Amino acid sequence: MRPPFYGDFPPPSRPRDVKGGIRARSRRGAFGESWWARRWIAVLESFELGGRLQRGRSYARRGQVVSIAIGKGRVEALVQGSRETPYDVKLEVKTLPAPEWKRLAGVLAREARFAARLLAGEMPADVEDAFRGAGSSLFPQRRADLRTRCSCPDWSNPCKHIAAVYYLLGEEFDRDPFLIFRLRGLDRDELVGLLDRTAAATPAPPEAARAAPPIAPEPLPETPSGFWRGSDLPQGFLGEVEPPPVSAALLGRLGQFPFWRGRQPLLEAVAPIYGAASALGLDVFLGEVSRVAGRFRP
Amino acid sequence: MILLHVALVRGRLCLWGESAPEPVGRRPARARARARAVRRVKAAASPYDTEASRLSGALGDAVPGLSMAGAAAESLVAWLPSVAGEPLPSSPLLTAAGGARQDPAASDLKPWLVSTVPLSAAQAVLLLCACVERDTLAPGLVVSKDLAFWALVLRFAGALVARQRFLPGMVESDLGWRAQWTPVLDGADAQRRVRLAAAMPGACRALSPRAAAGPPEGTALEALDGALAMLVDQLVRTAAVSTPAAPESVDEAWLRALGTPDGDVVEREPAELARLAAAVREWRRPVAVSTDAPFRLCFRLEEPTGGDNSPTSWSVRYLLQGRRDPSLLIPAEKAWDGRSAERLLGDPAVREHLLGSLGQAAGLCPPVEQSLHAPAPSGYETDARGAHAFLTQSAAALEQAGFGVLLPSWWTGKGTRLRLGVRAQVRSPRLKESGGGVGLEQLVHVDWQVALGDEALTLAELRALARMKEPLVRVRGQWVHMTAEEIRAALDLWRRKASPAPMRDVLRIALGATTAIGPLPIEGIEAAGWVGDALARLEAQTGFQTLPPPAGLRATLRPYQQRGYSWLAFLRRWGLGACLADDMGLGKTVQTLGLLLAERERTAGGARPALVVCPTSVIGNWQREAERFTPGLSVLVHHGVGRGRGEAFRRAARENALVVTSYSLLLRDLEHFGGLEWSTVVLDEAQNIKNPETRQARSARALVAGHRIALTGTPVENNVGDLWSIMEFLNPGLLGTPAEFKRSFFIPIQAAHDAAATARLRRLSGPFILRRLKTDRSVIADLPEKMEMKVYCTLTREQASLYQAVLSDAEKVIARAEGIERKGVVLATLSKLKQVCNHPAQFLADNSPIPGRSGKLARLTEMIEEVMESGERALVFSQFAEMGAIVTAHLQEAFGREVLFLHGGVPRGARERMVERFQSGAEGPSVFVLSLKAGGTGLNLTAATHVFHFDRWWNPAVEAQATDRAFRIGQTRRVQVHKLVCLGTLEEKIDAMIESKRGVAEQVVGTGEGWLTELSTAELRQVLALRPEAVGVWGADAPPSSKSEAPDPLRRRAKV
Repeated sequence: MRPPFYGDFPPPSRPRDVKGGIRARSRRGAFGESWWARRWIAVLESFELGGRLQRGRSYARRGQVVSIAIGKGRVEALVQGSRETPYDVKLEVKTLPAPEWKRLAGVLAREARFAARLLAGEMPADVEDAFRGAGSSLFPQRRADLRTRCSCPDWSNPCKHIAAVYYLLGEEFDRDPFLIFRLRGLDRDELVGLLDRTAAATPAPPEAARAAPPIAPEPLPETPSGFWRGSDLPQGFLGEVEPPPVSAALLGRLGQFPFWRGRQPLLEAVAPIYGAASALGLDVFLGEVSRVAGRFRP
Repeated sequence: MILLHVALVRGRLCLWGESAPEPVGRRPARARARARAVRRVKAAASPYDTEASRLSGALGDAVPGLSMAGAAAESLVAWLPSVAGEPLPSSPLLTAAGGARQDPAASDLKPWLVSTVPLSAAQAVLLLCACVERDTLAPGLVVSKDLAFWALVLRFAGALVARQRFLPGMVESDLGWRAQWTPVLDGADAQRRVRLAAAMPGACRALSPRAAAGPPEGTALEALDGALAMLVDQLVRTAAVSTPAAPESVDEAWLRALGTPDGDVVEREPAELARLAAAVREWRRPVAVSTDAPFRLCFRLEEPTGGDNSPTSWSVRYLLQGRRDPSLLIPAEKAWDGRSAERLLGDPAVREHLLGSLGQAAGLCPPVEQSLHAPAPSGYETDARGAHAFLTQSAAALEQAGFGVLLPSWWTGKGTRLRLGVRAQVRSPRLKESGGGVGLEQLVHVDWQVALGDEALTLAELRALARMKEPLVRVRGQWVHMTAEEIRAALDLWRRKASPAPMRDVLRIALGATTAIGPLPIEGIEAAGWVGDALARLEAQTGFQTLPPPAGLRATLRPYQQRGYSWLAFLRRWGLGACLADDMGLGKTVQTLGLLLAERERTAGGARPALVVCPTSVIGNWQREAERFTPGLSVLVHHGVGRGRGEAFRRAARENALVVTSYSLLLRDLEHFGGLEWSTVVLDEAQNIKNPETRQARSARALVAGHRIALTGTPVENNVGDLWSIMEFLNPGLLGTPAEFKRSFFIPIQAAHDAAATARLRRLSGPFILRRLKTDRSVIADLPEKMEMKVYCTLTREQASLYQAVLSDAEKVIARAEGIERKGVVLATLSKLKQVCNHPAQFLADNSPIPGRSGKLARLTEMIEEVMESGERALVFSQFAEMGAIVTAHLQEAFGREVLFLHGGVPRGARERMVERFQSGAEGPSVFVLSLKAGGTGLNLTAATHVFHFDRWWNPAVEAQATDRAFRIGQTRRVQVHKLVCLGTLEEKIDAMIESKRGVAEQVVGTGEGWLTELSTAELRQVLALRPEAVGVWGADAPPSSKSEAPDPLRRRAKV
């Protein structure tokens, strides 16, 4: 543990408590689980902020960040400090020009795995090499690639508020590898469009054709049999039903919730529900009336 | 009677009901007033409308756990097929019995006002769950098709929740934002949804708030989606434990609302809620992408085509598989080629989905990752080791992640898959001559042999295979998979070779209860000598010695009965419990009595007594049949108020050969039974213990017995859920513990329709169940074309006291009267007594309630249930039209199925239609009640295989003529005639008189019952007297309507 006063100016004061702020999932140690999230955080940590980094981490963990909004190349956030009104934090990342993106996409499209991994929610391992090979860089390199501002009185930039926002962004990288592209000026759909080699050859169908067709009204059957009986379905129509070997796999596929503002992470809170619901679902499926009724007893 | 309906309107399931309209004059003024009031909106009150309070009241009693307290009624418009200004009722149950209209050619949808009860989601779950696979919820509470459809939707919701196909979401409605668990429909589930919607009865969406808006126009799919979302949400919500802490953010408010009863996310800024909803959408995007895509990624393992073992020629191909049509398979190459002819492939979303899927699969199957270095990957090549890794590891992981996986048939085909296994060879030890029986503890020698398919492997071959260290080996042109573990276990067995084992283990292997030794499946068992003989006989249920019937048996056993009796004796010698499940009427009782008598004779009377436990309604039957067939067996009926207790009872029991008691007394007097050891315990109507957790099942298992027999007329072997309890009574441990049984049989069979598990269960339980049908070739030859049998019933206390009262009144009058007057009085008395025997409500003619007051009606209902379960049809004759009406109403209420009723007042056209419907195919009504006068002659009713004479016409010729309705030209099956007779009453006495002088009677009686009036007063007194066996049987214990013994209309029809 560091001593409470580290010699910076002004002396750190206790921030005001926030209810419902965004809390980092990380409880101790490093932020971000994926290499690309850590890579992003490494950029911040290379700025030698000293004690501000530690305080930024603790802000992020305490939920001092009230909100985060992300646009192309920019992030705006509100962070609660010791003053009454939260500070405005702005982060600007240098975007890459369109022609450069086009050139880079050409390189990435040579192997299916770049797009495949990204679409599956993962940053391809050697994406940076690919960028470097094309004479560019995915993550901000120099200090000039990253411009930060905060409305707090701290003269140091980045301050702890900026650091807190930065750390939380790092965690969102875990879930959404497209985030870095967005910060570099290209959103998900644009990127996927560029990576699709055949998109140029086949124009996308017009918007109207892709939208779901309007639902036509379906009059009630007028024959007594269709009205009262419907038609029969085969025995065993509902197929095999077994609780899955791995519980809450669907949740696992989605990953963490973006900028979750709760004391307990969402996945941790809802995962146990899956097991309990599964048991009840099986009882319902098997028609075990008394067991189902037992679950509904007040 | 109420026919229950449920329809979805404005996102809620609303309950409404149809019941028979009251005659116009008796319709309450209020209803008429309402009908006038609504004329303005052009919807009149439906004549079949059922008061909401009646609906709520009936349901609250019939559905476990359901509380309808505070349910608000709402009048809604139902659009119903109508003809000539009247709505058509949904079922003929509502028209006056038998007057069923045929579906008219043209009907229109017209609005009718009905009272509805909107159901909360929790109420809907409970109601629908109770309706699963049921025809009625309670007597008179009928589950109509639309309600049954929603019950199927609930099961679908249950299946989705069980398989964890749901995610938390945010839904906006008019009332604001709501936290909701939403179903995720993927692959086969998406197809099920479409097929369900197509099968939906129109009634499921026929309600609308107002008539002016016209009939509802929403689609079936919309209605289905609405209900499915609501039910899934409710199930998960119920399982979720609400977090009590006050929420600090909108995110936490949402999380919390996922576990609250209503799910509302309250008191939050709209902007915040919209932001959260967007975040939820963003979070769920990967799942939405895959469920919305028209294809899914599919992997196909292809084996080398060259034929020789070339090491790199296995391949895994990537394909797009249609979600709606899984047989549509498009190679990935085509998707990468933008000029492809497949129109759907032109959509960039398809390629995006394909790429994302590959990226995901790469994490589960490393070679896929490798293949992605190409710009347009279409698969990868591998060797035998790689193929094996794909088969044993990747395939399951990919399948679970939702990808399609197609594997070679030699791998997936369970029967044909060649693999290492073992065979057991059993040698029979020489038996000592002295012992009578061979028990399950007898030790025999077992040799183990390792085999591949049909061929035994030598040690050298086994070692050679072990040295190859290849998981996939090509043997005799087929790929064979073997693990190092299997080879180790096989070598181990080689070292052990022979070992002694008890017969119990051998039996378990032979019947498939034990299927593997370690990792090696047992492929077969061969047994030589007497062990082999015994196993073969047990499995085939033939070949065992046919025993001569016991000397004291006063009946000639038909050949199939002799086989059944010998089979029982064969299992008895092995100490194995037996379930005799012959069709009703084939004589289970006489076969059992024969066995009990034989045992008694073998032990020269020194044996312990046998115990028969049966429903109260058949105690009298056991008593009479034992008197008739096995007079050598002294019977003690343990029932009624005066029954013995404690040591007195035990002493009396030991002094008799046979004790007969009821299930309800087994419970109540268990302490008295406890101190006794029985030679045999027989459970009659053994389906009474089908639920293993009930006290009667536990009590039955607690009885100490040398041998156990279960009798039932229902196809018990088909009902997986019921089987365990009966087998556990017969042969404890054979089917494993309840948990083991549930895991290895119940869930695979009920939930997964696993044919192999079904076959295994049949093999395991089959040797202990003997079921012959009347239609079996081996049986039918032994049966006369017409079988007549008496069904002895008992009176309820109420019937007995009414009987006594009628008798006391009459005796005085008869003693004084003479001539014509005396004749009249005698005939009137006979008629009154018969009515009392039938039902108090018939005698009193007071419209009083029906259930639980007549022993005869209770027995008839039980027997009709068996007839219905076996898919047969029955005629029920009564000489009283009023009784016919009572029987008809009672059976309709009990089973929720239409019962035809023909009496003198039915016009000719209707009468012909009834006959036609009864004789027609599978959909027609299965029970036809007829008054003897109206239906006794002329009709051709050969669809019936059972004829019941509910009361007796003391003229055999009239009865025979009625019976012949079913037994006419065109009848190809055997017909059973059941004559119901109340024990200890005039019915039994007169029956006996007719039987004893049948020939005489036929001359004397002529056409009527007049001959009875010729009897002297003393004779008459004897005939009419009420004897003790008539009463007391119902005695102080439960009436026939008690839960344990009444026919269970709620019995589930879930079958294999």
